[in-house]
Amino acid sequence: MQIVSGGVTDVGRVRTNNEDCYRIVAPLHLFVLSDGMGGEAHGEVASALAVETVVKHCIEAIDNPAVTLYGQQQEAWTDKTKRLSSAAHLANRKIFSSAQEHADQKGMGATLTAAWIDGPKLSIVHVGDSRAYLLRSGTLQQLTSDHSLVAEQVRHGILTAAEAEESQMQSVLLRALGSQAEVEVDAEEHMVIARDILLLCSDGLTRMVIEAEIAGTLQSEPDATQAAQKLVDLANDRGGSDNITVIVVRIGAESKGWFSWLRPGARKHAAENGTAGGK
Amino acid sequence: MAKLSLMFESRLVKEVPIGSRPVGIGRSPDNDLPVDNLAVSNHHARVFFEAGRLVVEDLDSLNGTFVNDLRVERATLHDGDSIWIGKHHIKVDASGDTPISVDSKRKPTAPQINETMVLDTKQRREMLQQAAAMGERSQFAGRLKMPTLVVLTGNSDQKEYVITAKLAVIGKSKMATVRLKGWFKPEVAAQINQRDDGYYLGPGDKTPLVNDKPIQGPVRLNDGDVIEVCGLRLNFLFRE
Repeated sequence: MQIVSGGVTDVGRVRTNNEDCYRIVAPLHLFVLSDGMGGEAHGEVASALAVETVVKHCIEAIDNPAVTLYGQQQEAWTDKTKRLSSAAHLANRKIFSSAQEHADQKGMGATLTAAWIDGPKLSIVHVGDSRAYLLRSGTLQQLTSDHSLVAEQVRHGILTAAEAEESQMQSVLLRALGSQAEVEVDAEEHMVIARDILLLCSDGLTRMVIEAEIAGTLQSEPDATQAAQKLVDLANDRGGSDNITVIVVRIGAESKGWFSWLRPGARKHAAENGTAGGK
Repeated sequence: MAKLSLMFESRLVKEVPIGSRPVGIGRSPDNDLPVDNLAVSNHHARVFFEAGRLVVEDLDSLNGTFVNDLRVERATLHDGDSIWIGKHHIKVDASGDTPISVDSKRKPTAPQINETMVLDTKQRREMLQQAAAMGERSQFAGRLKMPTLVVLTGNSDQKEYVITAKLAVIGKSKMATVRLKGWFKPEVAAQINQRDDGYYLGPGDKTPLVNDKPIQGPVRLNDGDVIEVCGLRLNFLFRE
């Protein structure tokens, strides 16, 4: 399965520091994004710790699958999903204990949205209000639920989706890494097929750019990194009120079909590879 | 005074107060709360106050310590929490003259608009209750039911499908929830995405009909809608 990815992070137009962090581990098809929170520079500490812990834990497990699993995993999950979920629990503990040990880091936390593609299987783990989307057949579909107060109110029928977008409480999260000793981690598995496009992004994108524009940009720009850059630019054009981070992952054909060379852009994509990124 | 109550099913086995000394929990009789069960390690866990907070710590037990279903190595306890050890559970009563908890020291100020913050469990519960009391338009009852696709006519591998994932596919693909059979059926004919405000049907390689009308992009499904795609007619229902 041919997978081409690209990521871009940007401080935005209002803030002075970038508390977002992301990492693409291209050879593993592992994609990790985190949005930090907490006063001073501690949001940056939290999101960097989240990303670093998740990547390290997953890479360790490749060499040694017997590495301890943290938190609870469902039996039916694949090894990758279990490992990714475990990594989220471990990252939570690391951020939490760092905040306990350093008085000045009190209250720091981070979101985490991570994806791991293994053959046709896609594992997603998620805590917070960053998002994962899958663009398939022109339809942008959200693979994660925000753990925010307004989203919870929408799920309970108290607010409409439109009211939630206007709410002043959008920044209130119900779950984040590092705020409690243990955290509930959402994990789900999907299958991906050729021409699917996976998008991971921080709320700096989704609060500024509507989904139709996101879908349009992903469809019109064949280069993953360029598409990520265009989405960041769009969010900045709209005000860029928060840090913006975007990872775009394009899923190619499962194998080289007889006529694959006829597909537009097939050769161009084959020549490219994912870029390692992050702050 | 804060106390721990060891329970076996609904039966109270033993109750101990939590003072300045840690409360030991385990199979060995020298524990403050001895738990007589082979699944419990000799010195399984301990509970103690630390910086005004009640903490449970697993002592590298074989089968683990769980707080409200989550396996923990170490966790802060709150009033009403349950610690599960083997088949026993320990109810946490921190309602007495507990030293001031970190949570209650936090000022209940309104959140700043642009600064992301996280609510703790208690704040969350309170806020949702307030919000629930305010909201009248409650589709709540409907949303607690499981969304189900019931096959009305056509060839499919099951008579009905419960949608559990964020993304459910109707098509020939191996990953499809509703699996279509036949040579010329598309891999992904249509797809259903669970959003916060409901379930949305989107086109795949085909344009499905909802209540006999072709959809233009994703549409929110209502209880009782009839979906038609690739010769299959499905009734979308919220079921208990």
